[in-house]
Amino acid sequence: MSTPLTCTTGRHPDGAVVLTATGEIDMSNAAAFAAALNGAGDESAGATFVVDLTRVEYIDSAGLAALFPHVDRLRLISNPLLSPVLTIAGLDDITTAAPES
Amino acid sequence: MTQDVFAGGGDVGRDLTVVEWGGTSLGPPEQWPQSLRTAVSILLSSRFPMWMAWGPQLTFFCNDAYRRDTLGRKYPWALGRPANEVWAEIWDDIGPRIEGVLATGQATWDEGLLLFLERSGYREETYHTFSYSPLRDDEGALVGMLCVVSEDTERVIGQRRMATLRDLGSDPSVVRTEQQTLAFTGAQLGRNLRDLPFTLTYLFDLDGVRLAEATGMPADHPVASPAGWPVEAVARGESVVVPLDGDLPAGDWHEPPTEALLVPLLQQGDSPYGFLVAGLNRFRALDDGYRGFVELTAGHVSAGIASARSYQAQQRRAEELAELDRAKTAFFSNISHEFRTPLTLIMGPLEELLTRADLTDEPAVRAELDVIHRNGLRLGKLVNALLDFSRLEAGRMQARFEPVDLANATAELASVFRSAIERTGLTLEVDTPALAQPVYLDRGMWEKIVLNLLSNALKFTFSGGVRIAVREEAGTATVTVTDTGVGVPADEMPRLFERFHRIENARSRSNEGSGIGLALVRELVELHGGTITADSTYGQGTTFTVRLPVGAGHLPAEAVTTARVTAPVSSGADPYVQEALRWTPGTAEPAGDPVPRAKSPATVLVADDNADMRDYLTRLLHSAGHQVHAVGDGQAALEAARARHPDLIVSDVMMPRLDGLELVAALRADPRTAGTPVLLLSARAGQEASIEGLEAGADDYLVKPFSSAELLARVRANVELARLRNHHARWRTALIDSLQEAFFVCDEDGAVIEINSTFTDILGFGVEGLPYPPVHPWWPDREADPKGYQQVADALAMLVGRTRGAYTIPVQHRDGHRLWAAASFNQVADPDSGRKVIVGTFRDVTAEHYAVQRDSALTALSVRLSQAESLSGALPGVLTQLGELWQADQVYAAVFAGSGPPALVSADDQVRWDTLAAEHRTALTELRDKPLLTPVADEPGRAGITLEHPDGTMALMLELAERRPFTEQDRTLLALLAGHLGQGLHRIHQIDQQRETALALQRAILGPAQLPAGFAVRYAPATRPLKVGGDWYDTVTLTGGRIGIVVGDCVGHGLEAATVMGQLRSACRALLLQNTDPAQTLTALDRFAAQLPGAMCATVFCGVLDPASGDLTYASAGHPPAVVTHADGATDLLDQGRSRPLGVRSAGERPEAHYTVPARATLLLYTDGLVERRRQPLTTGIRQVAAAVQQGRSTALEELATEVMDSMAPAAGYDDDVAMLLYRQPGPLEYEFAAEATRLAPLRAMLRTWLARCGIDPTTAQNVLVATGEACANAIEHGHRHRPGGRISLRAAATAENLHLTITDSGLWKTPQPAANPHRGRGFALMRALMSEVTVTTGAAGTVVGLQARIPR
Repeated sequence: MSTPLTCTTGRHPDGAVVLTATGEIDMSNAAAFAAALNGAGDESAGATFVVDLTRVEYIDSAGLAALFPHVDRLRLISNPLLSPVLTIAGLDDITTAAPES
Repeated sequence: MTQDVFAGGGDVGRDLTVVEWGGTSLGPPEQWPQSLRTAVSILLSSRFPMWMAWGPQLTFFCNDAYRRDTLGRKYPWALGRPANEVWAEIWDDIGPRIEGVLATGQATWDEGLLLFLERSGYREETYHTFSYSPLRDDEGALVGMLCVVSEDTERVIGQRRMATLRDLGSDPSVVRTEQQTLAFTGAQLGRNLRDLPFTLTYLFDLDGVRLAEATGMPADHPVASPAGWPVEAVARGESVVVPLDGDLPAGDWHEPPTEALLVPLLQQGDSPYGFLVAGLNRFRALDDGYRGFVELTAGHVSAGIASARSYQAQQRRAEELAELDRAKTAFFSNISHEFRTPLTLIMGPLEELLTRADLTDEPAVRAELDVIHRNGLRLGKLVNALLDFSRLEAGRMQARFEPVDLANATAELASVFRSAIERTGLTLEVDTPALAQPVYLDRGMWEKIVLNLLSNALKFTFSGGVRIAVREEAGTATVTVTDTGVGVPADEMPRLFERFHRIENARSRSNEGSGIGLALVRELVELHGGTITADSTYGQGTTFTVRLPVGAGHLPAEAVTTARVTAPVSSGADPYVQEALRWTPGTAEPAGDPVPRAKSPATVLVADDNADMRDYLTRLLHSAGHQVHAVGDGQAALEAARARHPDLIVSDVMMPRLDGLELVAALRADPRTAGTPVLLLSARAGQEASIEGLEAGADDYLVKPFSSAELLARVRANVELARLRNHHARWRTALIDSLQEAFFVCDEDGAVIEINSTFTDILGFGVEGLPYPPVHPWWPDREADPKGYQQVADALAMLVGRTRGAYTIPVQHRDGHRLWAAASFNQVADPDSGRKVIVGTFRDVTAEHYAVQRDSALTALSVRLSQAESLSGALPGVLTQLGELWQADQVYAAVFAGSGPPALVSADDQVRWDTLAAEHRTALTELRDKPLLTPVADEPGRAGITLEHPDGTMALMLELAERRPFTEQDRTLLALLAGHLGQGLHRIHQIDQQRETALALQRAILGPAQLPAGFAVRYAPATRPLKVGGDWYDTVTLTGGRIGIVVGDCVGHGLEAATVMGQLRSACRALLLQNTDPAQTLTALDRFAAQLPGAMCATVFCGVLDPASGDLTYASAGHPPAVVTHADGATDLLDQGRSRPLGVRSAGERPEAHYTVPARATLLLYTDGLVERRRQPLTTGIRQVAAAVQQGRSTALEELATEVMDSMAPAAGYDDDVAMLLYRQPGPLEYEFAAEATRLAPLRAMLRTWLARCGIDPTTAQNVLVATGEACANAIEHGHRHRPGGRISLRAAATAENLHLTITDSGLWKTPQPAANPHRGRGFALMRALMSEVTVTTGAAGTVVGLQARIPR
C-alpha cells in the first residue's frame, strides 16, 4: 500500500494550471506525484503552472526530485511545515506561502 | 580428636580429657565447633594465667598457670563446671562483667580488684588484674569469654604494708616526747585498718602494765584491759598468738578478727619496753610475711620510744652543758687579765731551771723543759698581744717616743731573726744605711712592728729570701720588708690589716696565728703618726712599706722625750724567734710504748699542725691504750682516714692545706668516711665557733685548753656512739632489705649510691658495683633499642629534675633479659649530709606491661581483621602489624594448601615463594610440621608458629631484628594472636562464601530479566563488610501498556534479608497484576508481610505509570520520595501518598497520589543506601542525588545510571546496599520494519506520535521526520535493493535537550554519488542540513545511521 496521496489538477482564477497535492510524498508514491506533475505541465502547455503543497504533510527528496524537472516554469504554494525542506532544496525562490486559513 | 584439643595443656590438659563432657552443655569434644577448639588450644598453650567460659552454661576451662596461681583447692573439681558454680562466692562481682561482655562484645579491664575467694579453706582477701574478652563461635556470635588474669594479692598487700612501714619511718620531726611518738605511730597504724583492724600498745612501767595507745578501737573497750593478755610471755620477749571472740572492732572489714598477735617492744640489751597487740585480718593467713610485718611495725614503735627517751636524756644533758658554758664564759672574762701573773710565775722559775746545768745535761729533761718554755713564751706572746689590743681599743696604750737611730734599731731586730730565717734555707738581706736624723719611736712598739713583719714574711715564704731596707726622703723615713713568698690574692688585699682576718687556704709554714699581727702592726704604726701599706703579687711575694714622718712635730708633746736611751733588743723578741724556729723542718714525731688501758681500745687519727700539740695528743691517747696515727694537716688526715678507717679522728680546726672544718666536710662527702666520728679541737672559744664546727658535721667539739681527762672521756664517748650508730645503720639496712619493692637512693647527678636486696633480685646488679653513675648498666642498649634508651633517659631527666614523680621504663637485667619497672621517687634532704638525694622504689611490672600490650595487640589484630574485605586482603595488613609489634625485619606467611608450592605472603608483599631465600623456605617448611598454635623460637632472631588457614596449614615466621630475644611473654602473645588470626581468617572465609552465595542469589531473584523501554536500574551490595541486603527494584507490565514500578527495602542484611526480599518482590508483583492500584497493592502486601518473618517494616515505593501520557499513580510505604527532574532542570519530589512501612499498623487506608511525568523528565527511584550518610540528614543526600540527575539530564539513561551510582558512592564504597531505578518519559521508540517503501508512512505516523509525547515543536519534529525518512529511504533503496526481505530498525530516544535516532539496516549502503543519483544525494544533504549531527557507519553486517537533533528551548 502506497502512502496516501491525492493530486487534483484545476485552474487558478488567473488561468494558470494548479496541481493540488494532499497527503504525504515519499519514495513509495513519488512516481505518481511525478506523473501528476507531468500531466499538469502538459496541461499548462509551456506556461508556468502552480503546485499547491499546502495540504502536504511530508515531502522527502524523492518528492523533491519530481519537482526539479519543472523548476523553470513552476510556482509552489507551501505550508510552514515544508518550508525548511524546500529552502534547503533551493526551491524557496519559486515558493510562496499559503495564505493563512 | 579429643586429645588434639587438650594436647599441650600439661596436667590440666590431661585432667580435661577425663571430664564427663557428655554431661555438660558443650557435649563431647568431637562435636565442638572450631572456634571453641581454637580457644581451648590458646588457653592451654599459654603460660600466662587464663580461664574461659563457653556456651549457655558458661562452662569453665583454665590453664596450668591459672590453676597454680588462683584456683587452689577448687582444682580439678572446677573443670567443665558452670562458671557461676566455680566462682559462686564472687559471682556478684564477676557475673555482671561477664554478662556485659556477652551482651556488648566489649572487653573489660579491672586492675587490682578485691575478691574474696574460697580456695584455701577460708575466705581469702585476694586482688586480681584481669581482662574479660569476648569469644565468638564459628558464626561470629558471642558465646563465651576469655579471662587473662594476673593475681596481684601479694603486690597489693605488700604495698599496703610497705606504706604503713614507710609512714612509720617518715616522721618529719627529729625527735619528740614518748607521748608524741606513740600518738604519731598510732595515727599511722590507724590508717591501715586492713592489716591491723585494731592495735593496742602497752608499756611496762614501775606500776606494771599500762595501755599507751589504741588504734581501731576505743581505749576503754573491755578487750583493751591489760589483764586479758599473756603478759608474762611477751615480757620474756616472745611473740604470742591469742584467739579472740566476742564483739570486736572489725577495722576495714565486715567481720572482726579471730586472732591477735602479741609482739614485744624490744629494747636493746634490756627487757622489752612493752608489747604491741595486733588484731589480725581474718581474711589473710598469718604467714611469715604477715608476722614479719607486725614485728617490723613493733620494731618501729620500739625505735620511736627509744629515740624519744634518749632525746629526753640528751635534752637534760644539753641544758646542763649550757649552764656550764655560761659559768665558764663568765669565769674566763674575769680572769683573763690574771694570765700574766701565773705565766710569769711559770716562766721565771722555768728559765731558772734552764740555766741549771745539772738538769739540762739530761737530754730528756732538757727536751721537756724546752717544750714548756717554748709554749710558755708563745702563751705569753698571745696574752700580750691580746692585752695590747684591748688596751689600744680602750685608748689606754701609753706610747713614749724618743729619737731613735732607725737604721740601727731595725738592723738589730732583723739580726735576731737571721738564724731562724737561714735555717729554713732562705736568705735575709738587711739594707739599712744610716739616716741623717733620728726618728721618734716607742722602742717596744717598733720592736713589735718589725718582728711581726719579719715573722710574717718567714711564715709565708718557702724559697728565695726576705729583705728589709730603710730609707729617708723628703722628711719621711721608709722601712720596707720584702719577701718572695706566696703573696696575697688581690681580693684579700683590702682586708689584709683587718683584725682577726686570716687569709684562708694560704700556704704557710704553720696555721697557728691569731689574725691580729698585722692589725696590731697597723695600729702601732698609726700611733706613730705613720702609715703602712702592702704591695703583693700573688705567687711572687709581698712588700710591706712603713712610712714614718721624721721629727716630733706630729706627735703629742707630752709623749715625747728627748732622752736617748740605747737599749738592746728586749726579751720581747724571744717568743717570735722561738716560734719561728719550730716551723723549720726536722722536728721528729716522738713515739712511746703502748700502754693499753682503755676498755675498748680504738684507732685514733690525730691531725694538728703544731708539732708540740701533735706529740702531746699522741702521748695522751697512746697512754689510754688507743692506737694513734698522727699527721700534720687536714689533707694528710683525709688521706689517712680513707686508707686506715680509724674509729675516731681528733683534729685541730686551724691547719694549713685543709682546715678542720674542710676536713669534716670532705669526710662526710665520701661514703667511705661519712660515718667516721670527728672530734674537733680549737683554741677559738665561744658558742659560734662550736656551732660552726658541729654544723660542718663534727661529732664533738673541744676548746683549748682542755684537760687530758676530758679529752679521753670525749674520745671514749664518741667511739662508743659510733659503734652504736653502726648498729642503727645495720638495722636500717636490714629494714630496707626486707622491702618487697626495690629501693634505691640517687645523688643529684642520678648516680645510684644505695640499693637494697630486692633491687639486686630484680635487676641483678648488687651493692658491690656501687655507685652506679648514669648511664646505668641496666639501660637498654642505645643501638639495639633506641626507643627504650630514650624512655629511660627521659625518666632520668625527670628523676633529677622534679621533686616527686613516677614512671614506667624498660630495663635490662644483668643477664640480658628485658624487664619493665614502675618506679616512684621523692627528693629528700639526706639527714647526714643535708644534700639533695632522690629516694625511689620500683617494682617489676613486666607481667602487667605485657598484659596491656597483649590486650592492645589483640584489639589491633581484631580491627585489622574486621577491616579486611577478603581472605587474601586480610593477611598483608596483619603481617605488617605483627612486624611492628615485634620490630621484625620481615614477616612471612606460607599457606600449604596441597602438594604444590605454598602460597607466600609477606608484610611488604614483595617476595614470592620461588624468589624466597632457600634458608627461609626450609624454615617455613619445617615449621609446617610443628604442632598447631605452638610457638617455635629455636633459632635466635627467628620465631614462628603454625595455624589453620581456610586453605590449609599456614606457617607464620618472624625475622626479628638482630639478636632480639623472644621471651616467654612473646611466645604467649604470639600463640594468642595466632589463635585469633586463625579464627579471624576462618570467619572472613565464611563471610566471603556467604557473601558470594547471597550476591548470586540476589542477582538471581532481583528485578525482571527484561526491562521495559526507558528504564535503567542498578543494584550494589554494601562494600564493607561486603554484604548483600534486602533492597530490590521491579517493573511489571500491566494491561493497557501501563507499567508497575516497585522499589523496596527489607530490614537487615545477608542471605536472610535477600530471601525475604525475593518473597516480598514476588508477592508485590502478583498483587500489582491483580490490583493495578498502588495503594491497594501495598495494603494487600501488609497482610502478606504479617505472615512473613523479616518482612515487617520493609519500605516500598509502588507506582503505576502510563508511558503514553506520563501519568503516574503511586503510594509509598515509608519509602524515601522519588525524584523527578524536568527537562529544564526543575526538580519535583514525589512525597505524597505516604504511609507507614509494611506491617506497621495504621489508622486509615493507604493514600495514593497522582503525578504526570512531563516530557523528557527523568524519574529516579532508590533505596536509602544511595542517599543515607552518617551525620547527615536524609534531605542532604536527596538534594545531592537530585543535583546529580539534574546534571546528567541530557545524558543517555544507562550512562546516567552509572554516573549517579559513581558520584553518590562514599570514598570507602556504599556501607548499605543500594537499589536504584531511572525512567525517562517517554520511553524510547523502538520499531522494526520490512525494508519496503510502503512501510515508510506508518513509520512516520508512529514517530510523529512519539515526538509529540516528547513535547517536540512541529518544525523540529518535521525535520526529524524528513531526516529519518531520508535515512530509511536510503536503506530501502540502496541497502536492500538487491536483497529484498531485509529489515530496518529504528530506535529513537530523548534526553532533556537532544533527540537521538538510530536507523539500522542489514544492507550495504552506497557512498553517495550525486551524479548517478541526484535526488539520493539530495537526501543525504537534507539529513545533514536538518540534523545537528549525522553519522554513518557501514560494516559487513549492515549500516547504522545516527541522527541527533537539538531540541530548541
